[in-house]
Amino acid sequence: MRIVVAEDLYLLRDGMVRLIEAYGHEVVATATTGPETLDALRKWRPDVSVIDVRMPPTQSDEGLRAALAARHEVPGLPVLILSQHVEQLYARELLTDGASGVGYLLKESVFEADQFIDALERVAAGGTALDPAVVAKLLSSGSSNKRLDRLTEREQSVLGLMAEGLSNQAICQRLFISESAVSKYTTSLFGKLGLADDDTSNRRVMAVLTYLGLTGS
Amino acid sequence: MSWVASACVGFVRACAVLVVSMLVPAVWAAGVALAIWWQNPWTWIAPLVWVCVGTLLLVRPVCRMVRSLVARWTGTVIPAGYREMGPVTQMSTGYWWNGYSYEKSQRDARKDLELRVRWKDPANLRDLKFTAFLAVTAGLAAAVPPAGVVAAVVGFARSIPLLGVAGVLVAVASAPYAWRAFGPVAVRFLRPSASMALADRVDELTVQRADATVAQAAEIRRIERDLHDGAQARLVALGLSLATAEKLMETDPRAAKALLKEARVGAATSLSELRELVRGINPPVLNERGLVDAVRALAMDSPLETTVSAGGELRLDPPIESALYFGIAELLTNAVKHAHADHAQISISHDGTGIVVVVEDDGRGGARVDDTGGLGGLRRRLAAFDGTVELTSPADGPTRARMTVPCESL
Repeated sequence: MRIVVAEDLYLLRDGMVRLIEAYGHEVVATATTGPETLDALRKWRPDVSVIDVRMPPTQSDEGLRAALAARHEVPGLPVLILSQHVEQLYARELLTDGASGVGYLLKESVFEADQFIDALERVAAGGTALDPAVVAKLLSSGSSNKRLDRLTEREQSVLGLMAEGLSNQAICQRLFISESAVSKYTTSLFGKLGLADDDTSNRRVMAVLTYLGLTGS
Repeated sequence: MSWVASACVGFVRACAVLVVSMLVPAVWAAGVALAIWWQNPWTWIAPLVWVCVGTLLLVRPVCRMVRSLVARWTGTVIPAGYREMGPVTQMSTGYWWNGYSYEKSQRDARKDLELRVRWKDPANLRDLKFTAFLAVTAGLAAAVPPAGVVAAVVGFARSIPLLGVAGVLVAVASAPYAWRAFGPVAVRFLRPSASMALADRVDELTVQRADATVAQAAEIRRIERDLHDGAQARLVALGLSLATAEKLMETDPRAAKALLKEARVGAATSLSELRELVRGINPPVLNERGLVDAVRALAMDSPLETTVSAGGELRLDPPIESALYFGIAELLTNAVKHAHADHAQISISHDGTGIVVVVEDDGRGGARVDDTGGLGGLRRRLAAFDGTVELTSPADGPTRARMTVPCESL
């Protein structure tokens, strides 16, 4: 894959590039500021980009703004946002256009290198990767709390992993259960929530996120 | 009819003004009369003592009466601006300190303080001047209707009809207006002078500065402790694991791998601890997006169903944003923890003079602002910006808190 890395801190940028290259992907460009990021995204149209939220010149949410602007110009341009903290607010802004190919993870998710690269590939393929911390906040926030009472504990954890963007196969590996058990849980929880099950994994994810009130549509 | 009523009311009020404003002059008149009547060269001392003591004792009650009459008749509240008594504290020596002197007992310390505060108050001079001025302005004006009545009575009694009729006319015509000078004169001359207002402001700022310093020191101590017990300790453990893993790499690669995994978990834990710490110091989203979006993010994470409405784009000074943000967070936490609410509403707006934040919940109410609790802390934090917090929280709810901070740059 051709990847753009946008991160202002040298050590992190360098480490990220090394990690990505160790997994056999190519970093075509790096950026250290918001405007640079936007230029690189426009110029390279990468298969996926890894972008830090806070960057110069304002040290506010430059990276996020650049990613949103680029996706506005090129709908569905895959971006993976990394941050020291995760906010539902930002996740909502990223997902609100309903286009696919969005990732939003805590920076320390790179510690689990396999899972991080997996998320990167998923986003590049038009999937979704949401940090468990965002999903946990989402599931416990006021509006969803009561609606999810009907689900069993297992169903709730399957729903959570689904909201993170995982496929059935990935879910069964995480929970150490068979794939048929996972599809049993998904069928029952979709029935309870009144959602239409969809075979395409990412449309299913979007349905879940919409149900949880994270996307606009 | 209404004219008759206003004449009657005016007459009664004029009499009241006359009595109040002539109390001190009456004491003086009595003193002078006493001196004249008691024709002894040495007896001027007694009238003098009488006049001085009488004046000093009467001035403050007279001013208090004036204030209450003005408040009742015109609705204008004139701030008194008298000095407040400070606290009396027991020192480690057992003596009591009242801000001026050490006393053996609390009672002595209080008495001493009371005397000092009472007699060193700059308001005394103002009251004295006002009493003198009142007598020759509003007092004289208010004397017209009663004087008319007296003239009428004298005129008819002595069979001088012209004087009687003139007296009645003067009394009736002047009654609705004669007392009206009272209000403006009192408002103009009885309010705290600029220097008294300044002195009050200095006291207020001194207290606020002390509060702010104490709060800041406590905050820094908390951060130091959290870093020391949390991230620093974890980094030491991390280095230890890595050093051991390095050593074991050749001899026992399996154990080394386990240690490396442990180190990675440790790094992740210290990161999440640091994240919580940072959030407590200054939430990153506040830095990145400003107050309104930060409050939206807060509302999304809250277990309550929370709606946020904001009037337009607000860019405030960071310290004010931070104080308001933590205030809202405190109120939301209370709504969950104490009020057991299900819904909350937050509105952020500006009213021309400052920013107004209202937080309402549908919980069971009964919240109070006390000095030790979180709401007391909130009040102190806002007071540093001349901000206020008003709380309405009846026993069965709902709770409504209104925070205001004046700002010019909106």
